[in-house]
Amino acid sequence: MSTDYSVEAPVVAGRLTIAQIEELVAKPMDTKPDKKFYLALTISGSALLIGAVCLLYTFYYGIGMWGNNQPVGWGFGIVNFVFWVGIGHAGTLISAILFLLRQKWRTGIARFAEAMTIFAVMCAGIFPIIHTGRPWLAGYLTPYPNQHGLWVNFTSPLVWDVFAVSVYFTVSLVFWYTGLIPDFATLRDRTTSKIKKTIYSIFSLGWRHSSRHWLHYEKAYVILAGFATPLVLSVHTIVSFDFAVSIMPGWHTTIFPPYFVAGAIFSGFAMVVTVLVFVRKIFDLQNIITIDHLEKMNKVILATGMMVGYAYGMEFFIAWYSGVQFEQFAFLNRMLGPYAWAYWIMVSCNVFFPQFFWFKKIRRSIPAMIVIVLFVNVGMWFERFVIVVTSLHRDFLPSSWGMFTPTLYDIGILLGSFGLFFTLVILFTKALPVVSIAEVKAVADGAQPTHHRGEHHD
Amino acid sequence: MTDKKIFGITALFNDPNAIFAAAKKVADAGFSKWDVNSPYPIHGIDKAMKMKPSKLGIVTLIFGLSGAALALILMWWTMSVDYPMIIGGKPYFSLPAFIPVTFEVTVIMATLSTVVAMFAFFFALPRNDHALHDTVYMKKVSRDHYGIVIEAIDPKFDEHATLQFLKDLKPLSTEIIYFPQKENYPIFEPRFIALLVGVAVVVSIGTYLMLNKLMYIVPFDWMEKQAKVIPQSGSEFFADGRGMRLPVEGTVAKGYIPYPFEGETNPTEVLSNPFIPTKENLELGQKKYLTYCSPCHGNYGDGDSRLAGQFPNPPTLHSDRGRNFSDGMIYHIITVGQNVMPSYASQVTRDERWAIVNYIRALQRAKNATDSDLKFVKAE
Amino acid sequence: MHNNELTYQRKDLPSSISKIGMTLLVVGIILGVAAFFVDHTRAVYNYLVAFTFMISIGVGALFLIALEYIVGADWSVPIRRVVEFFAAIIPLLALLVIPLLLNVGELFHWSHADAIAEDEILRAKAPYLNVTFFIIRVFILIGLWSLFYFFFIRNSKKQDTTKDQKFTTKNIRLSAIFIPVFAITITIAAVDWLMSIEPHWFSTIIGVYFFAGTVIAALAAVTLATVILKENGYLHPAMTNDHLYSLGALLFAFVNFWGYIAFSQYMLIWYADLPEETFWFLQKWEGSWAIFSIGLIIIKFLVPYIVLVSQPSKMDPKKLKFISVWLLFAHLYDLFWLVMPEMEELSGGYSFSWIDLVFPIAAVGLIILVFNMKAKRENLIPIGDPKLQRGLDFHL
Repeated sequence: MSTDYSVEAPVVAGRLTIAQIEELVAKPMDTKPDKKFYLALTISGSALLIGAVCLLYTFYYGIGMWGNNQPVGWGFGIVNFVFWVGIGHAGTLISAILFLLRQKWRTGIARFAEAMTIFAVMCAGIFPIIHTGRPWLAGYLTPYPNQHGLWVNFTSPLVWDVFAVSVYFTVSLVFWYTGLIPDFATLRDRTTSKIKKTIYSIFSLGWRHSSRHWLHYEKAYVILAGFATPLVLSVHTIVSFDFAVSIMPGWHTTIFPPYFVAGAIFSGFAMVVTVLVFVRKIFDLQNIITIDHLEKMNKVILATGMMVGYAYGMEFFIAWYSGVQFEQFAFLNRMLGPYAWAYWIMVSCNVFFPQFFWFKKIRRSIPAMIVIVLFVNVGMWFERFVIVVTSLHRDFLPSSWGMFTPTLYDIGILLGSFGLFFTLVILFTKALPVVSIAEVKAVADGAQPTHHRGEHHD
Repeated sequence: MTDKKIFGITALFNDPNAIFAAAKKVADAGFSKWDVNSPYPIHGIDKAMKMKPSKLGIVTLIFGLSGAALALILMWWTMSVDYPMIIGGKPYFSLPAFIPVTFEVTVIMATLSTVVAMFAFFFALPRNDHALHDTVYMKKVSRDHYGIVIEAIDPKFDEHATLQFLKDLKPLSTEIIYFPQKENYPIFEPRFIALLVGVAVVVSIGTYLMLNKLMYIVPFDWMEKQAKVIPQSGSEFFADGRGMRLPVEGTVAKGYIPYPFEGETNPTEVLSNPFIPTKENLELGQKKYLTYCSPCHGNYGDGDSRLAGQFPNPPTLHSDRGRNFSDGMIYHIITVGQNVMPSYASQVTRDERWAIVNYIRALQRAKNATDSDLKFVKAE
Repeated sequence: MHNNELTYQRKDLPSSISKIGMTLLVVGIILGVAAFFVDHTRAVYNYLVAFTFMISIGVGALFLIALEYIVGADWSVPIRRVVEFFAAIIPLLALLVIPLLLNVGELFHWSHADAIAEDEILRAKAPYLNVTFFIIRVFILIGLWSLFYFFFIRNSKKQDTTKDQKFTTKNIRLSAIFIPVFAITITIAAVDWLMSIEPHWFSTIIGVYFFAGTVIAALAAVTLATVILKENGYLHPAMTNDHLYSLGALLFAFVNFWGYIAFSQYMLIWYADLPEETFWFLQKWEGSWAIFSIGLIIIKFLVPYIVLVSQPSKMDPKKLKFISVWLLFAHLYDLFWLVMPEMEELSGGYSFSWIDLVFPIAAVGLIILVFNMKAKRENLIPIGDPKLQRGLDFHL
């Protein structure tokens, strides 16, 4: 407990040398995959396959295969979309916002979190496209001068979504790839296989680790981070606009934008912790992804969990305070109505369980954090379910009230999205460095000139 | 191999402090075409190397601003000029609703331009044939060493003096780097051409199948196959095989009033015009006359058919006989037809027929106007 | 190169500062009292603006202290005392609130029994919006803030002499408790003082909106004081412009955050166009208020955004001085824009009165005086803080 505040805690534990860091990170790419890898791939691949089959059925027979109905026109499709977009927020947050805040501990986890962002946004992007029923016509969503003489409706939040998610995906990918280039160069120079060398050479673009390049490279990184930060806020803000610009009780609340962003960071961090706990163990990265890093992540989870709790409370208070009966009914119905079970799952998983992170022991205990972050993942999925379904199933007109029951196809496609996500994650761990080699090297002990600090004065 | 051209001379270090000191010395010696290579950016090396701050931000600024302008102009033009539509009671140009898309386009333009400009123009990458590639030096600086390279094109470069200069910096090792031998890539190699042809064939077949077969398979067929009955199509469900059903025997259409004078030649006594020729009524009559009557009777009732002899011309409506027809007679002719003229009962409603009658009366009056009529018009 | 023994020499602030503060305060108070006699209602509304401004400076500064501890920042340690001095206004809020409490009837439509009797919506809100509960809330809020202020400062001061690291640990724990408390209290403050003056209007984001403005105001005050003190050699000489960069970057971030929150609130209400919400913005579009509304975007977002966007300007002392004065004004303007259109007399449009200028003068004078008083008694640098050396060594 007696921390010495006068010295900065080392980012890389175990006094690893620069060469050792490289060895550790590059090891999975130099060795052949083992049985466990194939086993994991089989499991995630099967889930993906189930999702694909359900999806093909949906394409052939139409959206009627899903549980969507009147009045719940937005079912699992939108729930899953918002859930995955939320997961996708952690990566850019870690790589951009923590970069701007000069949090060095981000270096160990940034690459992995960015990769998860990209995969999660891929999962997310599937849902709005398939929920149209005819995904091959998605091209009409882009504004181009077409034969119908029609344009997309730029005042529609659904069109904003198209822009936000595709821009977010592109920028995340570019950000990720820019970070990967020096690592590709390092891999290129260490590999002995000719095929690998060719591949790495192509992707490294012939990077030469030149200081004249590093100068611009670091500047570009700052610029990218500076843009990615408001971008990451804008994406979930726009997702929240999908709901909040309507007049639906329970959707139309002005706190939605920051509340959705906090929730996205919350769920994203939970997912990153879930995966990192296993990755650091399997690939022996305990010294690079240290328990300190995980503890910091857990603190962020605690903080954002409370922000989400604040938003729940504020929504309730204002629903009462506003004096609008529809709002009051919508919120009471959430708490006590037919979907109260979903609501209480959401509240307990998102607000109650993360409170255990107040205790340092639990923050630093791997089994405890696995349990809590899994609860958070579940809770955040249910948050979206509660928002989408409970608001829609009790309309303004009691005559149009109804219930929503997901079909097997809904559940199969949700499972498939998890399959896709984990398949990509598993492939990524073998194909690319899961930790940024160059960045971790730069924060290792003795990596920087010691007399640099006085430099500005002489 | 004396014909090898020197690219430059390198020196390796394994301590960040050493490279820092060495970089300062090289910069102080006045070299310009030289570089420090390190596996990660070294803090403060830019100042030691006397490099100017990066100007990359200018690219970002220019493209970011043009992205914003582009998005706003596009949205303004599409939403309020090319296809204006009122959505949600908002003005055509509703700025708050345009801000999300403007922001996203700004971000994508700014970031992509920055990255592309940096790699392609600032660094001239991709470039895998640089002399430093595949050297021991590169392998070391890629891992955990730090190196200085002074290029031969530097005006102060001299093979021996520079080598000595670098050795005085007390590096781990020095190395002279030569330009690699140029490689040839024969384009007209048979294997390569075969590959191109193969790709072309696969693409062509794929495109053909896609456009001519796949597009006609459910569910890609633009909903051509549907479970509902399409007009004019047959049905196996009904005994008579008709998809479209006939009305039940004896059904009377809503608003149907029987016409009792069918077959009579002159029902004038009972048929009288219920409309007075107001302006609206005449305009309706004119519209209907021009649509249904004028193809044969001519625009002014002169019987000058536009059908150019494909059909017998009707007589003029301005003959004495025509002018002496009662309103009821003309109505009757429109309703049941006369000679080769068929009934127009299904094309024009009863009220419209009377309006046509009024219009024909106006035409007849105009064609046979008297001086007193002219005076009347002038007085108007 | 580093000298681990801190060579900090305490210097007293020049006496001219207390003179300036005193002059501003006295002039402000005299004119303020006069204003209460000239136009009572307008004076009360203006007093509310100045009061919420002082809440922003004081409580915002307390939040910044907690933030430093909770995230373990080191760069801000050498200037933490500056932040603490601004927070010193908190205990005074209990006194400053009294003129407002005496005029609750003037400010709040919901405090009139006859208004409640004929208004169904107000009747429904009465369990929350009633004078007794309101006053209880006010004192709970100010009490909580004062309590936390007292503990934070006590630990920080004790550390100066004992150099014991346990005080840092204590304050970190205190911050962890304070931040949720802060979130709730600042929301209640925003609802009570800013939202309930139009008791029919509601917005779930109002707490976050006030929070964003509060942090801007506190940061701007801290930046201004830091730059001036640093230029005149009152802070540690090892401090560089890199420290200023952090302040500039935070200001920039919170200007953006405020813009984001303000836009979100406007956008959602404008888009849905529900009469029970939109009327509040329409009120701020009546007559000359429209100019004020557009001015708010320019003053509180566009100008600071453009000034602070480039990296060098975030560490340029001159620009920082300018923009922190500007942002302090902008926050005052924002509060003015929130409060004044609710005054019945001004609901058709703004008309100038000297009363609008009086209370900010007094508030600024008071803040300067309190700052100066604290600076006389305490060290300008937390010399016992274990993170001080790290903070001084901070470089980008």
